[in-house]
Amino acid sequence: MLQSSGQGDGPSTSGSEQASSYVGQIVAPGDIVLDLTQAGKLVRIGGGLQQDGTSLVVTKAGRLRHTKPSKYWVEGSQRRYVPAVEDVVVGVVVERYAEHLVIDIGGPVTALLPALAFEGATRRNKPNLNIGDSVYARVTSTSRDTEPTLACHDASGRAAGFGPLAKGYLFQCSTGLARTLLSRPTCAVLEALGGGLSFELAVGMNGKVWVDAASAAITVLVANAIINSEFLSPTQAKIMVKSLLKQVQQP
Amino acid sequence: MEYVSPEGLRLDGRRPKEVRQLKCELAVLHRADGSAYLEMGNTKVLATVYGPHEVSQRSQSLHDRALVHCEYSMATFSTGERRRRPKGDRRSVELSLVIRQSMEAAILTHLLPRTQIDIYVQVLQADGGTRAACINAATLALADAGVPMRDLVASCAAGYLNGTPLLDLNYVEDSAGGPDLTVALLPKAEKVTLLQMDSKLPLDTFEAVLGLAMDGCKAIAAHMRQALLEHTRKQAVVRGPVRL
Repeated sequence: MLQSSGQGDGPSTSGSEQASSYVGQIVAPGDIVLDLTQAGKLVRIGGGLQQDGTSLVVTKAGRLRHTKPSKYWVEGSQRRYVPAVEDVVVGVVVERYAEHLVIDIGGPVTALLPALAFEGATRRNKPNLNIGDSVYARVTSTSRDTEPTLACHDASGRAAGFGPLAKGYLFQCSTGLARTLLSRPTCAVLEALGGGLSFELAVGMNGKVWVDAASAAITVLVANAIINSEFLSPTQAKIMVKSLLKQVQQP
Repeated sequence: MEYVSPEGLRLDGRRPKEVRQLKCELAVLHRADGSAYLEMGNTKVLATVYGPHEVSQRSQSLHDRALVHCEYSMATFSTGERRRRPKGDRRSVELSLVIRQSMEAAILTHLLPRTQIDIYVQVLQADGGTRAACINAATLALADAGVPMRDLVASCAAGYLNGTPLLDLNYVEDSAGGPDLTVALLPKAEKVTLLQMDSKLPLDTFEAVLGLAMDGCKAIAAHMRQALLEHTRKQAVVRGPVRL
């Protein structure tokens, strides 16, 4: 996240700055959403926004979001993922070296996973990951000039569900759908699927989704239901899952 | 031949300052990172964007910005007679370069060092103004892919026939032999990223034709922006900030 300071407080009462009038609306590249001279001392900007002189310009199409006191970002849905720290991602191993693994997370550059970034890993006891395996990891650092680094443990060093994903089926969806699948409370399609079937699911913020179930039919059904639910409302998603489950129960 | 009738109508019934009907559709190809289909009258163009991704040839990677690669091709069925060389001929190479330079001015390449952005534009039906249609389609495809841009690039062509500046020439008017001016513009800042003309024009007439083309660009930019907003609205995530 970048920080930029406006020049002096804006003309508002009791020191609170005025939020941009575009908050909650869809914006396109080139739109000017905020005049930084009117915005107060500190404005934090996230993805999709850039500072251009004294104005805040949109660089990516999406919905402008704002949380108090001063965070702005543009939320859009694309296929390409932009790595951000503390995101959980599903990646595929592309190269294997002695000290690290190169992972494809669907971003502009490949990511690096140090061989020791697993719970209980030592030089003698490294995880056995081959090229083509899927891995569930967390982004620990990003920088414009270096590759993003991942880790297969949480902040305190425990595995917490991270690590290799064996067997199963990996598919790609958009970043917007991935965010919906990861949100709390559970989204409608996952709740409906969980009510009728048992399967394992790993969703990455980069749009890659891994599914594993007892039979191939259930895996395919879960994958199709998730992909189809992208543009459906919660009620429509429930109806869609119900009709899919009926098909699977019929012999 | 009369290109503008005494009543002020052109061959296809338009007024001199009217742009052809514009239709845009985004995300038409689901495997690509970004894609757009654009129609300007009878000119139909499909643009596809892949990236940003790792540079395919390590030697060409730039340490401080993204590499933009563009390829223009015409389908063999796009013109009146079947075309034998869809790409690799001089005109395609020139147009690829021109579109690349135009888009590079708008993309914030310094945010994505050591990556590559591929833009493929294919003309499916050519009826004049293919250069402009390709730039417009490439803009929408880049916006669909989420590539950071400082503004949408809009492009339009204009000419001068029968003593009248004409906006958005079609193929018949283009082959009349008069001047054909193509402009690509960043509409908010009014900055020109492409200006090309063949044939000759006296300077004051040139200013009038250039002004007309820039107005055409702004009108096209407004239409493209609306299409982009509509498409994004359908896709936008409607929930609040995600709590994980």
